[in-house]
Amino acid sequence: MISTITSDEMVPTSANFPQQNFTAQREVLSLEMKIETPENVVLTYQLAGPAQRYIAYIIDLAIRLAILFGAMMVINMIGIVLPGTAIGIFLVIMFLNTWGYYTISEGFFKGQSIGKHICGLRVIRDGGYPITFWPALLRNLARSADAIIFYGIGITSMLLTRRFQRLGDLVAGTVVIQERSLKLPRKPVILKKIQPLNKNDIGSFVPRDEVLSLIDEFMGRRHVLTYERGHALAGILATSLAERLKYSGDPQKVEQYPMAFLASVYQTFSLSNHQEEDEFTVSNQSRIRNREVSLG
Amino acid sequence: MDKHKFIQQRQPHWKQFEEFLMSIRRESFTKLPAEEISKYSQLLREVSNDLATIRSRGWGHDLTSYLNDLVARGHNLFYGAPPANLSGVFHYLAVGFPRLFRANIGYFLTACLLFFLPLGISWYVVQNNPSLATRIIPEEMMANFDLMYGEESPLNNEEEKTTDRTDEKDSFLSEESTFGDQRASMAGFYINHNVGIALQCFALGILLGVGTIYTLLFNGIFLGAVSGYIVSQGNGERFLSFVISHGSFELTAIAVAGGAGLILGDALIHPGQRTRFQSLQVRGLEAVQIAGGAAVMLVVAALIEAFWSPSGISNLVKYVVGSGLWILVFIYLGFAGRQADTIPLPVKKRERSKSSEVGFNRGQQS
Repeated sequence: MISTITSDEMVPTSANFPQQNFTAQREVLSLEMKIETPENVVLTYQLAGPAQRYIAYIIDLAIRLAILFGAMMVINMIGIVLPGTAIGIFLVIMFLNTWGYYTISEGFFKGQSIGKHICGLRVIRDGGYPITFWPALLRNLARSADAIIFYGIGITSMLLTRRFQRLGDLVAGTVVIQERSLKLPRKPVILKKIQPLNKNDIGSFVPRDEVLSLIDEFMGRRHVLTYERGHALAGILATSLAERLKYSGDPQKVEQYPMAFLASVYQTFSLSNHQEEDEFTVSNQSRIRNREVSLG
Repeated sequence: MDKHKFIQQRQPHWKQFEEFLMSIRRESFTKLPAEEISKYSQLLREVSNDLATIRSRGWGHDLTSYLNDLVARGHNLFYGAPPANLSGVFHYLAVGFPRLFRANIGYFLTACLLFFLPLGISWYVVQNNPSLATRIIPEEMMANFDLMYGEESPLNNEEEKTTDRTDEKDSFLSEESTFGDQRASMAGFYINHNVGIALQCFALGILLGVGTIYTLLFNGIFLGAVSGYIVSQGNGERFLSFVISHGSFELTAIAVAGGAGLILGDALIHPGQRTRFQSLQVRGLEAVQIAGGAAVMLVVAALIEAFWSPSGISNLVKYVVGSGLWILVFIYLGFAGRQADTIPLPVKKRERSKSSEVGFNRGQQS
């Protein structure tokens, strides 16, 4: 929201209206859950949809059947000596398997059953906290209500709620999220061969940080796309940027090699910006920060 | 500040925090020395700050999501609940469960009404008119009951044999097996079957309570009809001496679980000042702790039913012990953890503060 407001100030053009629309739409369609931490920072979690959870469910089902099968083998051995006891133990295992598998795994292993672990899913409280025993029990007891008509009730509830919660999730106040592995951000792409734009060719317009970051990330991922597709996508941004910048240089560059044009825009604005002044403050600040950490 | 420099400057800190998150487990976290903890909580706040900075400047999706996940993991670690332990289990059984039960006794009484009233009625009707039993109980089951509690019954004190109650168990129990061994298999059956029914009875309460009410009524009518039928066949003595001991735990626990299910239904129907889902969450956490207690009671009942109830002890002893167990259940649910009743329950407390927020006296109570 904040970024939209700053963009209003900086770029008072007609392009604002559809952009605002976009942000509003993103809220509605978002697959992310937002929570605010005590540090007053908004965290986002990626919600897991019904399809992912179904796959995890199938894996768990297979594991549960395997457990029962394995137990049956062992029980058969005991059954030679004590047939009654063996059956009794088997029935208890069956009970725990039906009612306890999810509760134990989610309650004591940080919200992950084996299937969820394989699929990279995790159950958390809707405040962003790890799940504990009682909510885990509650959400998995309610499973028997969700499971009516082959999970028809659970799926209906998932589709009707914004956070894909089945009844068990609603009553226990939990959500299932998709875990992401920690990925260090790539080093910013600095293209050595690309020359910055000539100052005489452009007007006074300065692109926003967001646009520069977008170019940066696009450059980093350019190998994912085919050459033609990459240029087709880059062309959209390149033409509109050229228009804003009042670019008066070689128009061939924008049309033929939009990627190169974007790269040179990035080069122009990301590095040449008050380089000398920043040098001082940054090194100063980093020294202060470092001292703080070593003290703390 | 420039994005590159910001990253260059902050990345060592992120790395450090990341390594800390990777190396730490929740158990060892509590044993960390104080300086370490304050150092890393400082780092968490710094990384949070970086996240806010980067997000407000729009410095790219990759960077934001990396820091977001970093903060999320730290958040999980620092604000997680302490791990459960054994003394918590004991406290729950000795204080927590009976207390919550008493705080919601109205639901239990309603469940009793829904369970014991049809039980009594169908018992009375079937006993006076045994031909009606065929409408409720399947034929082969009735034959089975005749076998179990009749003259030839294994419950007859002279014979040292145990019993089974439904036809499906008959198949594997009729084989020659030793005495205590057979009982162990029955214990397994009772745990699997009875606790399962009770938990389902609770869980179906989420369907506006309809599922719970149905389960209670159905089981009440069925058990009443079975009892009435067996007594009408003149096997009342053997039946009652069998049932009295575990009935105290079993029948009460069914009503307890039913009451917990009714809490869920009521939370949806009468949410009060909350939204329906909020109300379901707050009351649901209370209800599941009651249902958990019912499950424990049913496990106890299953053990009594398997090992004590069918044993060849004289009926008088069984009646005395059985009555003692009824009193025990009454005392447990009615008085265990009583001294803690003055401390407000967490849920109740939250309820009060919630309503005060909505009301006019907001300033006074906070």
